[in-house]
Amino acid sequence: MKSFTYNDMEFTVEKVGAAWDIKCGKAIVATGLFAGVADADAEAKAVALAKTIFPVGAKVVGPDVAHPITVGDIKYFPPAVSLPNFVYWNADSSSQAKW
Amino acid sequence: MEIKGKVALVTGGGNGIGEAVVKYLVNKGAKVAIVDMSQKNIDRVVADVKAMGGEAIGVQGNVTSEADTAKFIKATVDAFGQLNIVVASAGIIKDSFLLTLDKETGKVSRKMGLDKWQPVLDVNLTGTFLTLRDSAEAMVNGGWDGILIPISSVNKAGQTGQLNYSSTKVADALLPKIIIGEFLVRGINKIRCVGIAPGYTATPMVAGMNQEALNAICADIHLGRLIEPNEIAAGIAHAIENEAINATTIEITGGLCYKGGIAK
Repeated sequence: MKSFTYNDMEFTVEKVGAAWDIKCGKAIVATGLFAGVADADAEAKAVALAKTIFPVGAKVVGPDVAHPITVGDIKYFPPAVSLPNFVYWNADSSSQAKW
Repeated sequence: MEIKGKVALVTGGGNGIGEAVVKYLVNKGAKVAIVDMSQKNIDRVVADVKAMGGEAIGVQGNVTSEADTAKFIKATVDAFGQLNIVVASAGIIKDSFLLTLDKETGKVSRKMGLDKWQPVLDVNLTGTFLTLRDSAEAMVNGGWDGILIPISSVNKAGQTGQLNYSSTKVADALLPKIIIGEFLVRGINKIRCVGIAPGYTATPMVAGMNQEALNAICADIHLGRLIEPNEIAAGIAHAIENEAINATTIEITGGLCYKGGIAK
């Protein structure tokens, strides 16, 4: 079993029978993966998969620039709270300075 | 296409019809990626699949986002090595009449706002488009056999109070004909597209309606009851397995009729 902290979340990658499970805290992220793959490769694949499923970034709620509304001669870009976007970047937040 | 051993991706897989499809396909031996907006629902369904002895991953994602779509398709391929079955069942409703009149003056007191219109188009139509487009891209580039399954609705026939929803579902019903026509032109012959149009289905949302409204709905269904999500899932499984079904949308309604007995 391998445990690691990524993007301020605790993950475990564990071999269960012939296959692998990924957990985030108590929740099961994935189950039954990589049966038949060598343990070291399977573990590396599972760690990479966890990082794909939970990318680092920030959820941004509006503005929804795709749907501007014209009010008089002003084009208004409203926040669309029902359509949050996710802005991805490449740095793990655990590498950022804490304050 | 045999389901056993194939890899399926189900958007809206955290509840309702999507959840039923996930579990049906797992029982048939598929490996499944569950995509949903609700992490709580994803966690529950993945845990259920584990208890069934199946193989699954759960990915939180918004189908209206190109970045999220790319993420959940990449995660599926990274986990299982291919992608064969895509069920685009993520959908929402925001019912409203086009116009509402003031009872005293007869003038318009309210009209359907963009807040009711746009999100339904974004999720039900644009979301389905993005899911099918990027899944087809992965299938073609991977060289895998596949089937794309948009989820329409019997309300593609037109339902008052659902100008937004019905507009998206009639469009979703048309997708298989256009997509397969384009695949023919482009020489893409290993991927089929079949729409499924459920009738009134006993999802938590519908089953939670008041009994009087439910009775009124069931009175117009020849079968005399709501459709079970498992019956929709069985229809989807049949469409996957029967390769002659292609470029069409199949209704599963139990025989839904207009008042007076003409089938919709």
